[in-house]
Amino acid sequence: MKDYLEIANSGTVWMLCAVTVAIAFLQAVLYMIMAKRTAIKANIPNEVVSKSFRIGLITAIGPALGVFIVMVGLMTAIGGPMAWTRLSIIGAAPTELTAATYGAKAAGVELGGEGYTMTVMAVSWFAMALNGAGWLVVTGLFTPMLENLREKMSGGDPKWLIALSGACSLGIFGYLNHGNIMAGHGHAVAAISGALSMMFLVKCIVPKFPKLMEYSLGLAMLFGMFCAVIMETLG
Amino acid sequence: MENNAHNHMAEWKRSSVFIGAPTNLIAAATAFIPVLWLCGTYDCWPDWNIVLTAWGMTAASFGAFYIVEPISYYAALGMSGTYLSFLSGNIGNMRVPVAALALDSTNSQPGTLQAEIASTMAICGSIITNLFFTTLAAIVGTAVVAALPEFIVSALTKYAAAAIFGGTFGNFALHYPIVAVFALLVPLGIHMYFTTIPAWLLIIISVFGSMAFARLLYVMKGKN
Repeated sequence: MKDYLEIANSGTVWMLCAVTVAIAFLQAVLYMIMAKRTAIKANIPNEVVSKSFRIGLITAIGPALGVFIVMVGLMTAIGGPMAWTRLSIIGAAPTELTAATYGAKAAGVELGGEGYTMTVMAVSWFAMALNGAGWLVVTGLFTPMLENLREKMSGGDPKWLIALSGACSLGIFGYLNHGNIMAGHGHAVAAISGALSMMFLVKCIVPKFPKLMEYSLGLAMLFGMFCAVIMETLG
Repeated sequence: MENNAHNHMAEWKRSSVFIGAPTNLIAAATAFIPVLWLCGTYDCWPDWNIVLTAWGMTAASFGAFYIVEPISYYAALGMSGTYLSFLSGNIGNMRVPVAALALDSTNSQPGTLQAEIASTMAICGSIITNLFFTTLAAIVGTAVVAALPEFIVSALTKYAAAAIFGGTFGNFALHYPIVAVFALLVPLGIHMYFTTIPAWLLIIISVFGSMAFARLLYVMKGKN
């Protein structure tokens, strides 16, 4: 009885899943139009617009390739269209697999195992959609409140706002890196060599070749991954 | 001029909400279309108690992140960046790193209109790349992954995120070395002493602890 996956991969499901992917795409296009228009009105150089866009486009290639491979794994578990939608919007592969598994567990079976019928698959799909909606509804409703919070915290002091934003990012990446450092081995090597190579590039290479700045993070990522793979092969 | 810049910023914020709020809420709703179609077409409506149980289990695991992540990431993403990032996901490994790099490369100061435009364009660029690769994976993914050497698959799935986390941290550490040491040692130290601390609590402590520490340094510097 594997016909639930046949339905999960059917043309209709692809089309229905495309609706949500299209909204994510549409939102990005609308914001790009708005950014371009605002830049012209406020006399902000076009270079800021085009360079920033290029940075996003290029720097994301590395992590997006990671998503590409993970998605292939997810496709075998929940079907192609669902994997496509879920990884095109909020929620990474582990989050989606957890939600899909909880759906199966709530029905008393294992994901894709014996007794995983279409009805159970529906529970998995509900669980993923409900989980993703958590972030979307909170940001959809309360983002203006977060802006007020930031304004209050910065107290109208632009210099402090810069330091505050930097500290926020350091807090986020301190947290994200600590996990990899504690995991040790390849993960720690990737994080530490990524950090050191980025510092070296920005401090020593970019001042001589300023154009390299926009590729710096991509290069640091490649070097970090390279070191981790070497470590894995040797260790 | 000052007043003009103020007006542009106010308009930017208004338009950000105008685009972002409906699209995020609509996407939350459209994500249910496939499952509603499935149940309607094949008459396989599940028992609602089971759905509620599954929802309760996911909320117990991720519910705190629905609130903690938007709050903690806000100062790094800005307004339009928050709408974009929480619709398209991949926040730590793509959106925050590209936004930060765009500000650095274009010499934009956080909080200014130029910074909002730079981070928005960078995040949009990264979303286009992500959508391109997920769509490609849907079409040719299985065949491509089967043909790739094992070490490339392993490098991309296991280490790409770790390396980009490290690289972004390294760049910020050049600007704020003392806060950087604090931001890394605090989660490491706390996690070593309290091994069962929930992730959401550790994020709050790391982000708001780093902000408080930066404030302390800022005030002390102002006094000298």
